Amino acid sequence: MSIVTVQLGQCGNQIGFEVFDALLSDSHSSQGLCCKRENEAYQASCKERFFSEEENGVPIARAVLVDMEPKVINQTLSKAAQSGRWKYGQHACFCQKQGSGNNWAYGYSVHGPRHEESIMDLIRKEVEKCDSFSGFFIIMSMAGGTGSGIGAFVTQNLQDQYSNSLKMNQIIWPYGTGEVIVQNYNSILTLSHLYRSSDALLVHENDAVHKICAKLMNIKQISFSDINQVLAHQLGSVFQPTYSAESSFHYRRNPLGDLMEHLVPHPEFKMLSIRNVPHMSENSLAYSTFTWAGLLKHLRQMLISNAKMEEGIDWHVRPPLSGLPSLGKMSLNKDLHFNTSIANLVILRGKDVQSADVGKKF
Amino acid sequence: MRRRRVDPAAGARAGSLPEAIAALSRSLPSGPSPEIFRRAKFDRPEATSALWQLLFRVLSPLPAGNALASIALEVQARLVKSALCSQGYPRLALAQLPEDGSKGSRELLLALSWLLARGPVLEQMLAQTRVPLGDEMTVCQCEALASLGPPAPHMEAEGPVDVRHMQWLMGKLRFRWRQLVSSQQEQCALLSKIHLYTRGCHSDQNLGHLSVTEAEMLRDPEGGQKVSGAGAAQNLDLAYPKGLHFSCTPGMGPRTFWNDLWLVPRLLPGDWAAPLDPGGASACSLLSPLRVLLRTLEHESRRLEAVLAWWRAEPVFWQWMVRKPTHPSPGIPSRSGPQDTVLGTCAPEAPAAASQPTFLPWVPECGDGELELVVRELQTLEEELREAVERRRVAWEAKARGCGRGPEWSAARRASRETVEKELGALQRCWEQDSGPAPAHGPHRLVRREDGATGDRDLRAAELIRTLRSQEACLEAVLRQLQGQCRQELAGLTGALPGLIWIPPPGR
Repeated sequence: MSIVTVQLGQCGNQIGFEVFDALLSDSHSSQGLCCKRENEAYQASCKERFFSEEENGVPIARAVLVDMEPKVINQTLSKAAQSGRWKYGQHACFCQKQGSGNNWAYGYSVHGPRHEESIMDLIRKEVEKCDSFSGFFIIMSMAGGTGSGIGAFVTQNLQDQYSNSLKMNQIIWPYGTGEVIVQNYNSILTLSHLYRSSDALLVHENDAVHKICAKLMNIKQISFSDINQVLAHQLGSVFQPTYSAESSFHYRRNPLGDLMEHLVPHPEFKMLSIRNVPHMSENSLAYSTFTWAGLLKHLRQMLISNAKMEEGIDWHVRPPLSGLPSLGKMSLNKDLHFNTSIANLVILRGKDVQSADVGKKF
Repeated sequence: MRRRRVDPAAGARAGSLPEAIAALSRSLPSGPSPEIFRRAKFDRPEATSALWQLLFRVLSPLPAGNALASIALEVQARLVKSALCSQGYPRLALAQLPEDGSKGSRELLLALSWLLARGPVLEQMLAQTRVPLGDEMTVCQCEALASLGPPAPHMEAEGPVDVRHMQWLMGKLRFRWRQLVSSQQEQCALLSKIHLYTRGCHSDQNLGHLSVTEAEMLRDPEGGQKVSGAGAAQNLDLAYPKGLHFSCTPGMGPRTFWNDLWLVPRLLPGDWAAPLDPGGASACSLLSPLRVLLRTLEHESRRLEAVLAWWRAEPVFWQWMVRKPTHPSPGIPSRSGPQDTVLGTCAPEAPAAASQPTFLPWVPECGDGELELVVRELQTLEEELREAVERRRVAWEAKARGCGRGPEWSAARRASRETVEKELGALQRCWEQDSGPAPAHGPHRLVRREDGATGDRDLRAAELIRTLRSQEACLEAVLRQLQGQCRQELAGLTGALPGLIWIPPPGR
């Protein structure tokens, strides 16, 4: 089933480009471990979700690009067309000349209503192109004005017009040291509005991804493009076709539905995060070996000690022996540090995946 | 299907008892062998479990599947007892039978014959397991309500129930429902594509295009589906959604669809009919080796023949079961006396405990004169209402002409017109609930037609949509009313507690 991506603002558009690029190059990768028929099924499934076919065979991303400045959108469109393997639709973007000045209110109350009809029209055309439509994936940042303000506005409109479709918002949490002076206000306003209109909020923190680039990928001069590529890799590992645990005859058709049903059924708990192991640069890949047991052990410890990457994990943190404290009592033991999470979903990809034993660890 | 009259004289022509019982056994789905029936007459214990299972199959509202087979015998027996009791089965001896299948086969045989005499059991079972060739959907809600399954055992809640867990489960249910809506929309889009691309291909001019099953048969005649006796119809049923996605994947254009479909026949030996141009007017030949479909249809027609044989032989069965023979028949041994029927050998029951007074609806006597008076009153009332509506409409239009035009005005008009239509539909629906025509029951085949011609038993989609919309409006009105009541109750409860601040969840 198809997912329509809405890319908002400078951040959203740059990340969106990297995501589509990563998805397509992964599905056409030549290093597959499976037979040809399996690869074709994988490609077809990935293509159906994120791309639509055109006459001359170049896949067109199912995306709508929105920004208040023309510069980033033009760059994104040309980068995609230059790659030759895929491109964006010709009339799938909407931009203005003014910008939002990092002002959430300007994005939400001025730009939003003013351009509501054009933006929703673009989205509607993209949805109508899908034979089977499962939901929206909205990429935005919280710090700026366009992504946060217009993102909140658009999500609310999608809630009204497409109330049966699933909506997942991908939010970029700004650097702690601050990129924008009013980012705290923008963030709070965005989160409070999104909490009411979105189904799931997938949060990526710039700080955490920056550390991954520095420590694990060994990149000396980290640019936004590197960060975005790490992000795209993480998102791709979640959204590419998967089998379910019970049957491996055909790929699951509705990835958004599966994620949401398992992770965010409760209306008050909507925030999600991704942890990914192993994460390393291509060069180091040749010198490493992995076992499922080792990887799962690292992943579990990352989860319970609230570490975002597999270096510097605090191995002292253990789950409390007597289970979690009951509803009434508060634990007086302050250095518990155990990261409680409501629901988790594990996705495994690789060789001999059936031998991996998730068991009772998670 | 109404009960047919059983012609007593037909018993003389019908033939012997073993033939009758053999026909009955063949017409029941996974029916027990005739030997079971004979043993049951003599109340042999080995026939009991087979009869419990047969009664369970007959009484269970669910279509047969693997799930049914795995239910334990005790559970089946209990469900059979409760179902028979709710249908008004008079004999208490059955309710007192042990549930482990150790005895009581004669009582079970009596119960089976009671069901057969009462209602169209065989016809219902045939309808449940028929082979659907077309794309079908039901227009009424009966099947959905009937397939709720056996009630879950009542569990006592231990301690306080965490409302967050309930919210969690409710949220999961909502997501599943939304996914279901998306899948249904997808199914509709694909169905529409298949119907559009296979225009002119069906040999039956009334239908005009292929259904999913037919297209899938063309695409994959060998099937790869295992057919095994009684399970045949269900396998075809489960393969339907798979077939839909194989025949037509989302985003598929007409050229790809036909390429895919004709790829298989080119590999087959030469008795394949020549490929035709897609969308052409020539009829598509379905004489290709469609073995699976053929086998399923043969199975179904064997069952139908068995049912016909059963109808012819039925009187003999009833004579064996309950009635004394009024004249000697060739099939029944002449030394049988009046006590030799199955019912005769069962313990008699006190009739008073079982019988209940039957209630007939009371129709008030009213003379013709009163009726005419009422009709005249209603006519005058209708006239008055019509005049009042005309007056108000003229006044409103005069007022409205003074207001401006413009996009906002027309949008507001459209919105208010829609609300009014919805409310009117709701009112009409509530009014016509008792007097409207009976809604169509059962599955209907979906056919796409360009010319709009319909037969007398056909339903038009537009009318059905209108009916469903009015039903929706009515239900929405009821929902709003209930929500309002709930809100008032909560407000009352919170008002009673001092110092409590009530923050309702953000409304949509």
